Amino acid sequence: MAAMNFGFGINRPRVIDLDRNNLRKSDEILREMPELQTCIGCGACTALCTAGNLTSFNFRRVHTLVRRGEYEGAYEEMNKCMLCGKCRLACPRGINTRGVVMLIKRKLGDF
Amino acid sequence: MRFYAPFCLPFLIGVAVMFSLIVWKYVVWFAELPRADKKRVLYGIPTPRTLAAVWEVIRECLLHRRIFRVNPLLGYMHMSLAFGWFLLIVVGWTETVAYLGLHWVPLQGHVFFRYFAPPLMLRDKPFFDFTMDLLLLFVLSGVALAWLKRFWSRAMGMRRTTRHVPGDRIALSALWFIFPARLFAESITCGIYGMGGFLTGGLGALMASAFGRSTLVVFEQGAWWFYSIALGVFFVALPFSRYMHIFTEIPLIFLRRYGVRPHEKESSGDQFQIQACSRCGICIDPCQLQSVLGIDNVQSVYFLRDRRYGMLTRDVAQNCLMCGRCQVKCPVGIDLNTLRLNSRDTMRNTPDERRYEYFAGLDRSEGAGKVGYFAGCMTLLTPRTLSAMERIFAAAGEEVWWADRNGGVCCGRPLKLSGETDSARRMMEYNTQLFRRHGIRTLVTSCPICLKVFREEYRLDGIRVVHHSQYILEMIEQGRLRLGRGMATYTYHDPCELGRGSGIYEEPRRVIEAVGALLEPAHTREEALCCGSSVANTVISDADQVRIAESVAGELAATGADAIVTACPLCKKALVRGTSSVEVCDLSEIVAKNLR
Repeated sequence: MAAMNFGFGINRPRVIDLDRNNLRKSDEILREMPELQTCIGCGACTALCTAGNLTSFNFRRVHTLVRRGEYEGAYEEMNKCMLCGKCRLACPRGINTRGVVMLIKRKLGDF
Repeated sequence: MRFYAPFCLPFLIGVAVMFSLIVWKYVVWFAELPRADKKRVLYGIPTPRTLAAVWEVIRECLLHRRIFRVNPLLGYMHMSLAFGWFLLIVVGWTETVAYLGLHWVPLQGHVFFRYFAPPLMLRDKPFFDFTMDLLLLFVLSGVALAWLKRFWSRAMGMRRTTRHVPGDRIALSALWFIFPARLFAESITCGIYGMGGFLTGGLGALMASAFGRSTLVVFEQGAWWFYSIALGVFFVALPFSRYMHIFTEIPLIFLRRYGVRPHEKESSGDQFQIQACSRCGICIDPCQLQSVLGIDNVQSVYFLRDRRYGMLTRDVAQNCLMCGRCQVKCPVGIDLNTLRLNSRDTMRNTPDERRYEYFAGLDRSEGAGKVGYFAGCMTLLTPRTLSAMERIFAAAGEEVWWADRNGGVCCGRPLKLSGETDSARRMMEYNTQLFRRHGIRTLVTSCPICLKVFREEYRLDGIRVVHHSQYILEMIEQGRLRLGRGMATYTYHDPCELGRGSGIYEEPRRVIEAVGALLEPAHTREEALCCGSSVANTVISDADQVRIAESVAGELAATGADAIVTACPLCKKALVRGTSSVEVCDLSEIVAKNLR
């Protein structure tokens, strides 16, 4: 029987191994911006994101992965942000999201 | 005639060091200016702008008119020191000419004339004795005020005064001692020889009768040495301290008149601005980060100081609302916001050609009118403003091209404000092409942040850019919008980017008066407060933003108005969080509500 196409699929299995990931950058980021730990992952920032509206850029996903030490591609992904600041106004925890974007880029990028 | 005594040495060395350093600095800065700026100066010299600059130098560097306008007592203090000292030099020069005719007299002969005069057996000239003493008294009154300001700034109408670096303290102390030392040195010589005007002569006679002339003779050399050392120390410290502003404001005024201003990128011309800062500290009091949050190391005076001495940190550069309240008060007229922006550019700009590749082929606009409406990110987050604008356009019978109602690219100003100027340029190019492709003639935006960048950075020749307050007023005046005037009272919050940033104060007020009564808050127009949520600041926390919003909304609510009206979606969002008692709405909402 041919596979049915429901328009969505199952995520490829993957493992985030916190013992093997290098959490040094992640720790530095959380030390400079401890309020990031209060994130409840509601996704308001991502829902109304100007860049997210035009691309697959997902701020919640990127900062969550970075906190877990998954840095690959995070800088390039974060660079899609236009820094317009809507997410900061929407965040129910009052996280300085623009500061987070700049901090992650500073820690993971080449500057 | 000999005009030399060993005590002149500290003074002479000081003068030589100071002038060679200053000339060297100016030559280097000018040589490193971009070619276009050099051209502006060269073409500007033979125009009336030179005369205007000379007049401004007299007004500002000597008389200090702008400080007088901000604070009369501070104005008097600066004028007595600058203009008084200048007159002492000019009248002193005339005095030596009057005594000796047009002979060449070395510099120290003019400066220490009172010391050299008696042995030359010169006749008394009571006019000069009196004038020089009067001028000295004028300067001393300024010095007394300066002492008072340092120890009790509130007496001078300043809540806070600048905290200084050690170099400034050395120069400041030397400056404080110059004129009292001059008074004593001249008085002692006058006391010995029984001459001088009402001040030096009087004090000299008093000391002569109290201590005897022979005692004064003993102290005479010491007093003149002290005066000379004070002058020497001040002159050597001057090029390294804030007193560099005394001379640097002069080339700054000329450069500004010729159209040389700071750019998006740092250049050597910025040094003329940075070193023209007198660190008077007038920018500290208007800063809401200081008055509301108690942050006292980021204000423009500290930013310029840190940048000048190469100790600028990211936090200081980034922690600013860029509301421009300090800039309108700055007595030197320094482009504080532009300088901060180009510092941010130096710290953060990392061009990435690929980061906005996703703009290619993007166009979600709709409609076909010649009038374009750019909501901007913040308006999309305040849908009541957007729907009010839809109703207003419909009522005015306008066919509208909607640039970003279904999502669009940011105007680029937030990114520019955070220093990534090259990437911001890519957004600006995208939006410019979008506007051109759809052939609009007028671009309306309800976001002052977008308005400012459209006007200043975009090249939109042939497209008129207006804020929605201006557009609504035009529609009312043309009779295309008919509004009913209710009994409601409104107070208006001037958004920074619209008021100080774009000079639009009148239009929103006239629109409000078309629908109700307008009550002005305590701080208004150029003095208006910032809502605290400025996109320019990425350092202060959410709680800090709310505290600023509360203080601002409190002041607005104190007018007793039924609603707080603003003309910026970001200000609206911010102020809503600062008050629970009064309704906060956008200008377009009250217009849409009162449409007939």
